[in-house]
Amino acid sequence: MLSNDNTAIFLCPPVNGDSQQIDLKDIEGFAKDKLKVSHVWDCASIPVLNADQVSKKIQSFNITKIILAGQKPGFYKTVFTRAMKLVGEDPANVMLAGFSEYGAVHQSQTDLAKAIVACAYFDVPFEQAIPKQAHPARPETLVIGGGIAGIQAALEIANGNQKVYLLERTGTIGGHMAMFDKTFPTLDCAACILTPKMVEVGQHPLIEMLTYSELTEVTGIPGDYRVKINKRARRVNLSTCIGCGTCAEKCPQKALSEFDAETGMRKAIYIPFPQAVPNKYLIDAENCTYVKNGKCGVCVKVCPVEGCIDLDEKDQEIEINVGNIVVTTGFQTFDARKIERYGYGKFDNVVTSLEFERLVNAAGPTGGNITLQQKDKKGNRVFLENGEVPKSVGIIHCIGSRDENHHKYCSKVCCMYSLKLAHLVKEKLPKAEVYEYYIDMRAFGKGYEEFYNRIADEGIHIVRGRTAKVSQENGQLMLRSENIETLELLEQKVDMVVLAVGLEPREDAKILATKLGISTDPDGWFKEFNYAGDPVGTFTGGITIAGVCQGPKDIPDTVAQASAAASSVLQNIMKGHVQMGLGKIKGDDIEFEAEKLSMKKEVQL
Amino acid sequence: MSYRVDFTLKHDLKKFGIHDWNECFHCGNCTAICPMTKTGSLFPRKDIRLLQMGLKDKLATNLDPWLCYYCGECTETCPRDANPGELMMSLRRYLTSVYDWTGLSKKFYTSHFWEFGFIFFFFCAVIASFLIWLPLSGNTAELINDQGGVMINNLVAGISGASFVNIIEIGDWTMAILVAGLLISNILHMFYRVVIRDKEVKVPVYAYITEFWSLIWQFMTQSKFSKCEGKTYWVGHLLLMTGYSIMFAVIVVLLPEFQIEEVRPWYNWQRLMGYYATFGILFFLVYVTISRIRKSDWKSKFSHPTDWLFIVMLGLTTITGILVHIFRIGGMVSATYYMYVIHLAVLVPMILVEVPFSKWSHLAYRPFAIYFDRLKEYSRKSQNENKLVRAA
Repeated sequence: MLSNDNTAIFLCPPVNGDSQQIDLKDIEGFAKDKLKVSHVWDCASIPVLNADQVSKKIQSFNITKIILAGQKPGFYKTVFTRAMKLVGEDPANVMLAGFSEYGAVHQSQTDLAKAIVACAYFDVPFEQAIPKQAHPARPETLVIGGGIAGIQAALEIANGNQKVYLLERTGTIGGHMAMFDKTFPTLDCAACILTPKMVEVGQHPLIEMLTYSELTEVTGIPGDYRVKINKRARRVNLSTCIGCGTCAEKCPQKALSEFDAETGMRKAIYIPFPQAVPNKYLIDAENCTYVKNGKCGVCVKVCPVEGCIDLDEKDQEIEINVGNIVVTTGFQTFDARKIERYGYGKFDNVVTSLEFERLVNAAGPTGGNITLQQKDKKGNRVFLENGEVPKSVGIIHCIGSRDENHHKYCSKVCCMYSLKLAHLVKEKLPKAEVYEYYIDMRAFGKGYEEFYNRIADEGIHIVRGRTAKVSQENGQLMLRSENIETLELLEQKVDMVVLAVGLEPREDAKILATKLGISTDPDGWFKEFNYAGDPVGTFTGGITIAGVCQGPKDIPDTVAQASAAASSVLQNIMKGHVQMGLGKIKGDDIEFEAEKLSMKKEVQL
Repeated sequence: MSYRVDFTLKHDLKKFGIHDWNECFHCGNCTAICPMTKTGSLFPRKDIRLLQMGLKDKLATNLDPWLCYYCGECTETCPRDANPGELMMSLRRYLTSVYDWTGLSKKFYTSHFWEFGFIFFFFCAVIASFLIWLPLSGNTAELINDQGGVMINNLVAGISGASFVNIIEIGDWTMAILVAGLLISNILHMFYRVVIRDKEVKVPVYAYITEFWSLIWQFMTQSKFSKCEGKTYWVGHLLLMTGYSIMFAVIVVLLPEFQIEEVRPWYNWQRLMGYYATFGILFFLVYVTISRIRKSDWKSKFSHPTDWLFIVMLGLTTITGILVHIFRIGGMVSATYYMYVIHLAVLVPMILVEVPFSKWSHLAYRPFAIYFDRLKEYSRKSQNENKLVRAA
């Protein structure tokens, strides 16, 4: 039997910078009243927290087992293991009850935190103590977001002979990856990897694409979700459109192309890009003259298929039933306008990396020629195929990332894609000088360090030092920075500046999270079940996450995670039921389960 | 050349207002955003590095903190919230204590007991010496002149033939010489540590003369300050500086012309000068007080206790000075006398603490630091040229 007198619970205050949402007083009361542990101490009340002090305490109360409870108690663990060693006890008897590890971060989750402490007390792994409340699962799956993660997950599930709905907000699947020219570190063509997958999705009998649609409501229980989807009016019939392009040719209204990151123009009736899936046209209601004024209708007149274009089509709401949901909503790039001193939106030729990605892309607005911005006849700033070529390009890393004023986290991909862009500049304009300004070069993956060395050998000036500001002098852009390695102040004039903008959660990620009942972490990314143990699951049953919406990552990691999510979904379908998930289970139930399991263990002994 | 690493340096400097020295990850943003940096003098990042590494000797002989005017752009744009601007401010406090050979400055910055004790002692000493040796004397009616003002020099009988104004003048000069002596010796100490002991620097003699204009020019105009953002602050600071200089001239050099019996018309030069000086000091004081309370700009966000002490003491001196003037013109005899005593009782400890040992010493250190920096740069340049010549 557990002896309560020999067990001590230490309450650990949050580590620097973390906010404490769960009241440790509640935990203390719980431990004393319910677990009947008499030695409950607050670490904050110990004046000098070192092994010496703790060992004295251990000795005087004859303690053999220690539980550290707190937001991140691992921070304090070494002190206690050392103290246990000092008094000759087994250091393995220091147990951790970390709240944030299992998603108990808000005050409302105090119950969960108590359950976590109870599990540590009963020496039962928390995951095991979650009562198995299985619900029968429907075989259909909804994948939210048609980027590379969504495509991968949809394909893997569908190839397992299960029905998949692929929901996509824009007119085509493909996401951000379709906009890229090359992938690092192999410099493979992004489209060569992506487009076959897109076509496969388009032709797969078990995948139903819901493009140009958005999720409005999710009801039901894990295993049997009822999802309402708003199918926005495409105004072009998907089944009859032959994609001939006559309508776009004759359409009088122009608009900035989202797919080209607003570096180029498209028509009001358009196809996002030539390899789009589905390869059908759609009408942008915001710019269409007919929708706005009720006059025009040129597209209807020139369309060779009768009744294909219906300018008066209305949005339509559909409802589907699914058992599992995979969330792969991806990211948006940091808005460089927020940092005024880099001059984005103020100076010509200061572009974001995503815009530059379109400029170097052969399918982009300049046909792959890197050119300077110029004014067209109407005064719009545009990039043209035959424009002037920059003689020097500066690339600034960490825009909006690793910055206390914006995003504290590292966006993980910017260093590598900046090196890739530098290489592409050198490839297309061998005479151009390229300057890279970085804080730390994070080449963390397989073949990445080698890639960095290769790019450095190509004659690119890689400068350690964050650029502080960009100013304009005689039509050129001047970058001011310190070269940390040579202790020099650099004032470098370049023709074009590329801002390596970081990744951030989509604006409406929080709204989607509330609709789905999943949680987000302090940075706004969707919260996974366990960062190391189960990075695709969530605390809500039947909902998995994959890709950048869970945290910044590159394409290989995204694809891997999407496959993992698909396998988790297939597992549920094969078993025929879905676990309830933590969100709807009471803390008491977990405690009860933990106690039961610990009893069982003792009986076995 | 070797340097000793001082592990306790970071902790020693805490009392001067330095915090979070480990936040910095050396991206170089602060150096690059600073309008004052140039190749050869790269701060504040270099100074953070020196602090992190505990290179006390290098830090103590470093002129960078004096070249910073704290516009706060580095702090605003710092990606790590490491607050380099405040670090430079704290280093200025530290350097003041390093240059001071008496050791009093360090005591004043790090101990309230010493600072307030020193001020309180001189406050009491001034009041006591007035009450004992220079008490209010004479008939109230006799002390009013034709214009209805107080005849200030007859308030006190004087000692052994010396009149009141003579005694005050002697006191002024004694204090001016004492303070100037301390300040000059500190500057020589600074010169010794920064220029003479720096083996890498060889300054040709004529450079001392050719660069001297920069010292005068910077002292008079603080033109480098105007390069930073926030011109109001520079104008205000210039008003304070000129106001104070005029006040100093009037009460030390021209005292017999200033402390006089008759009440001259308001447009007389000595009254106008007094008004300008009072306005200059008061304007900047109010400006600084408001911005420090509101924390409206970066340089006002973090206030060391000594910053507030300086503001309070200077404010009290100014207000009591104004009251003396009002009471004198109004013909209020005893009020004039007691206010005069309080005025001096605040002024004397303020000058003794602030000018040689505390915040006010920057009036000398900053222009001299710019001067020494130019000398060092001169020597660097000439050495480089020599190398080039030899190489050729």
